Amino acid sequence: MKLLYILTPLAPLFGAIACGFFGRKLGRTNSHRVAIAGVAVAFLFSLIALIVQMGDDAKVFNETIYTWMVSGGIKFEVGFLVDRLTVVMMTVVTSVSLMVHIYTIGYMHDDPGYQRFFSYISLFTFAMLMLVMANNFMQLFFGWEAVGLVSYLLIGFWYKKPTAIFANLKAFLVNRVGDFGFLLGIAAVLVYMGSLNYTEVFAAAPAVVGQSMEVIPGVAWSVMTVTCICLFIGAMGKSAQIPLHVWLPDSMEGPTPISALIHAATMVTAGIFMVARMSPLFELSETALSFVLIIGSLTALLMGLIGIVQNDIKRVVAYSTLSQLGYMTVALGASAYGAAIFHLMTHAFFKALLFLAAGSVIIALHHEQDIRKMGGLKKYMPVTYWTSLIGTLALIGFPGFSGFFSKDAIIEAVHHSQITGASFAYVCVLLGVFITAYYSFRMFFLVFHGETRMDDHTRDHCHEPPRVVTVPLILLAIPSVILGAMTIGPMLFGGFFGDAIQVAPEHDVLAELGAGYHGAFQFVLHGFKTPALYLALAGAVAAWFIHLQKPGIATWFAEKFSVVHRILDNKYGFDAFNEKVFAGGARQVADRLWKVGDVKLIDGLMVNGTANGIGLISNIVRTLQTGYLFHYAFAMIVGLLALLSVFIFSA
Amino acid sequence: MLCAICAILLCDLYSKDGRRLTYILSQVALVGTLFFTWGVTPDGSATAFGGSFVMDTMSSVLKSWILIVSIGVLLYSRDYVLEREITTGEYYTLALSGVLGMMIMVSSSTMLTLYLGLELLSLSLYAMAALNRKDVRCAEAAMKYFVLGALASGLLLYGISMIYGATGSLVFSEIAAAMAADSSSSAAVFGLAFVVAGIAFKFGAAPFHMWVPDVYDGAPTSVTLYISAAPKMAAFALAIRFLVDGLGTAHDSWQGMLVILALLSIVLGNLIAIAQVSIKRMLAYSTISHVGFILLGVLSGQAEGYSASMFYAITYALTSMAAFGVILVMDRNGVDIHLLTDLRGLFRRNPVYAFVMLIVMVSMAGVPPTVGFYAKFVVLDAVVSVGLIWLAVVAVVFSVVGAFYYLRVIKYMFFDDPIEAQPVLAPIDVSAGLAVNGAALLMLGLFPGWIMAACIAAFS
Amino acid sequence: MEFKLFLFWVVSLILVGAAVGVITTRNPVQAALFLVLAFFNSAIIWMLMEAEFLSITLVLVYVGAVMVLFLFVVMMLDINLSPLREGFTRYLPLGGLVAALIVGEIVLLISNKWFSAENFPVPAARPADYSNTEELGVAMYTDYLLQFEIAAVILLVAIIAAIALTMRRRPDTKYQRPAEQVQVRKEDRLRIVSMDSGNQESQ
Repeated sequence: MKLLYILTPLAPLFGAIACGFFGRKLGRTNSHRVAIAGVAVAFLFSLIALIVQMGDDAKVFNETIYTWMVSGGIKFEVGFLVDRLTVVMMTVVTSVSLMVHIYTIGYMHDDPGYQRFFSYISLFTFAMLMLVMANNFMQLFFGWEAVGLVSYLLIGFWYKKPTAIFANLKAFLVNRVGDFGFLLGIAAVLVYMGSLNYTEVFAAAPAVVGQSMEVIPGVAWSVMTVTCICLFIGAMGKSAQIPLHVWLPDSMEGPTPISALIHAATMVTAGIFMVARMSPLFELSETALSFVLIIGSLTALLMGLIGIVQNDIKRVVAYSTLSQLGYMTVALGASAYGAAIFHLMTHAFFKALLFLAAGSVIIALHHEQDIRKMGGLKKYMPVTYWTSLIGTLALIGFPGFSGFFSKDAIIEAVHHSQITGASFAYVCVLLGVFITAYYSFRMFFLVFHGETRMDDHTRDHCHEPPRVVTVPLILLAIPSVILGAMTIGPMLFGGFFGDAIQVAPEHDVLAELGAGYHGAFQFVLHGFKTPALYLALAGAVAAWFIHLQKPGIATWFAEKFSVVHRILDNKYGFDAFNEKVFAGGARQVADRLWKVGDVKLIDGLMVNGTANGIGLISNIVRTLQTGYLFHYAFAMIVGLLALLSVFIFSA
Repeated sequence: MLCAICAILLCDLYSKDGRRLTYILSQVALVGTLFFTWGVTPDGSATAFGGSFVMDTMSSVLKSWILIVSIGVLLYSRDYVLEREITTGEYYTLALSGVLGMMIMVSSSTMLTLYLGLELLSLSLYAMAALNRKDVRCAEAAMKYFVLGALASGLLLYGISMIYGATGSLVFSEIAAAMAADSSSSAAVFGLAFVVAGIAFKFGAAPFHMWVPDVYDGAPTSVTLYISAAPKMAAFALAIRFLVDGLGTAHDSWQGMLVILALLSIVLGNLIAIAQVSIKRMLAYSTISHVGFILLGVLSGQAEGYSASMFYAITYALTSMAAFGVILVMDRNGVDIHLLTDLRGLFRRNPVYAFVMLIVMVSMAGVPPTVGFYAKFVVLDAVVSVGLIWLAVVAVVFSVVGAFYYLRVIKYMFFDDPIEAQPVLAPIDVSAGLAVNGAALLMLGLFPGWIMAACIAAFS
Repeated sequence: MEFKLFLFWVVSLILVGAAVGVITTRNPVQAALFLVLAFFNSAIIWMLMEAEFLSITLVLVYVGAVMVLFLFVVMMLDINLSPLREGFTRYLPLGGLVAALIVGEIVLLISNKWFSAENFPVPAARPADYSNTEELGVAMYTDYLLQFEIAAVILLVAIIAAIALTMRRRPDTKYQRPAEQVQVRKEDRLRIVSMDSGNQESQ
């Protein structure tokens, strides 16, 4: 079993190395074969691990594979913790990754960086697996950073495109902010709990609850709260929560498979996964939970609103991802970790589906991404149409589709939660449902229904893309429909996660829900009694009405409420604010620092000064090497004299 | 221990000619000896020849690495030697006898055996340095090396005689017992000063380092490769046998001496290296600074420090081997590369070698995750654990200074345009060797555990 | 006993004097002869310590072989070493200072009580039939067999090295190869050239 766990992340790594270093020799076909084989192996092993862990008497695998170094009592090691939470993540990551790999064959077909791309996405899979399988903070952080690095490389994959470079820089910088918080959190864990190993940290955590620290003198903060919030800031960066969400929409500059891989299945969910993994810590601080809850609900609502006014097909999906991530965060805040992971899983499939469908549309339209220039594609691309419909229905939470179960579970969980901010969050997520439905169907209708708005040339060439593109779509559509109904029972209410997720009894909203749960079908029926479903339907109908029946309404609205429209269009000014205040301010400060500090002090005095000084000394000392034999011998004798003197004066 | 004789017998074969054959036979001899070493490794420690030959974990680990490194060295230098018309048969014979000398040094348990092993090694090295008779600089370097080496041997021998006089024994364990019984025997410690001087010369530690740059620069590159790699491990064994096995109780006395040597080596080595324009001289000074690090571990006087130093010595030998290996393959067509600027644009000419060199430079500069970082880290850890924090700080500062000239090499290789566009090519086995060597540096940085475990086992 | 002590002092003084002579005299032949003198005196000191075999070996090997060889070389090459010594006076102050310091430190250490005579009891006198040579031989071939063998290897390496460094094939040296001379055939030496018999000049 151990070998299997080790091989799981190594298989994609092998693929990455093979494609990266020997890609040119392997050629295109062999490259993608190797990469896909690696990921397929990982997927297979994940499935085996899943089946093994699903067994009733399955033991949690927690072992240190390798100790890199021990310094001052802190161990830096590589170890795997495989429990049910991990296997769920592993399966999600590898299966979506496999689909994306296959899809890439079609999407990147003509790209010169074909092998490089496969190398990156395989590497990404490896990093992500290391992240989810970690049994200590060190490795988690390694995976975390590696994922960040590869996403940076991937967003800027088309490095000749200035917007892509800007976007990857932005993603990198914003993530650094989050990582800084994350690192502080890890440092706090290390300082107060004395270890980096999960098991040890969790065991030591309850002892820390009462303690407080003074970051600013005189102000005492609970250690637990500070630690958790720091860790969560890291999650905010990766999982794109307000206000660190700004990088995600821009990252759509990368190739579409990447958007699917990063945004749907994996990277953005790293934060969610991390918080779920840290549930024993978060449970100890109610303040931190409230913080998580409020951030999540704000993200869920506000990002959905922006989605309404976007016209780029990928950006719409991106904002919907942001909003869904908000839902997951809300679930975390309400201590419904199971629901968060459940939504993460279902969302991974239907969002990957939507992204790949969007990509399929983009291929068909020769890389046209503006939905205003689409329309009526239903008859040209039936497979894409139907799979998109499934994805959209799943996204809005139509009863029976996977999204319905997970989203409804979250809403119900929030409804039951007693934590501070829960009522606010409840309102937000309910409104979010309406908005989700609205923008999803807006996009859907604009793309596939109505009159065709593209030019004639494009329309003539518009056809269903090759099978490597459509097969993943179909394969992803299946779990989008049935996964929720199949797994909701065990995953949410069946104690599936066991000890992997710990919830304090007073927070355990899922248990309350579970008390009223009588099977998936009942849950669907119950769904008809909740406002969420009607809000979703209302959203869909509104979208249909406004965008298909009376297209004028949207324009009218945009004109009448231009302020609102402009606010949304400017994404609440986050970008502008960042641009002006942070970037601008920083640039000014940096400018000053550069002129005074850098050029004069550091460059002039310290760097050049030191370099010159050292160069000078170096040149002087160098003349000692005269080349005369007797000088050398003399130096040796003097050295001997020195050694003798040391001895005499020390004795 | 029979492996020694095995090597001698094969040695004799080479006096005859046949270039290709000699090479193959040498390699066979080395590989055979390697297996032999593994085969006869006892569980504990065993002695032979009336207690003058010892076989323990340290000796077998070091022997294995000496042999592995020597195999690599001969592989890299094969074509060079052929091209330069250096008398091939003698080259391999001398190289093998040098290896034999090192192996004797590593597993000697009396001062006499140690000294003789050292002389065997040194003699081979002097002769090898002089092998390229057409070159005046080569002869000059060999001459300097020989005279200074003789002086150092004299110092060492004088120290040995003082220690013998004071303790009445040549065997390290008996010396240690005598020292423990009479710790105030200043005559022994007096001899110690001379011994340390001799050891420092063999290491090439400042201020006994003067021969290093001239010899590195003057000798044929293949010989430089040989000198820079395996003998460092032998010198480490020399230091450990004398200072720890023999005079461990006088630790207080030699610690001070080693502090001076290590400090001077690190400071001078790194400082002077910056001003060098010749790549071989630069690497020579960098060697001096690395030797300082090896001494740092030894001077801690603790098992962790010794194993850290051993790790450092082994990995440094590997690193240095890769560095000179790349220089050797670039020495095509009879033109030695001499200046740092000759490395320009290596990336365009052969990316594999450029990457190997990149790893080497990064490792020497001590950047994670390469092995150089880990080696420096364990050594510094040992130094800090005995409370010499200031020493560790100085070492770190100067290794940062040193990073400058390593980075300069990288800049030349990757960002400058090549002077000549023709690609650098080498036979496939040499390329494969270099690639494995470079990869090993990286992998050992990530997985240093098994060598480190062997090093720790050697001192427990 | 008294005479032996007296002899020791006399011989030691000559030895030190000769050693100084080796490095101060300008004539290389004289220096070599001073060295011979020094060897003789140290041989006498060994003889005083009843190490007959070693002292005779010293005379035979060093005086008889090494120094004679050295004198041959000096005379054959006829180098005037005096210019090399010009720096001698220039470096004397500094060199002298360092030498004096080292000597001072050594004296400081040796005058330590540890080196006083009572720590070194006079070894018991050997019986009359004691053979120094035999003892040496036994020690060398039993206890120190390994060292002896290594020393042999060192000599072997020295021979190889010396040959490798000095033996050279000079392509420009002219020498006869009798075997080839004997085997020579007519075709090797004689070339028959067919020439036009016509007179091209006239055309």
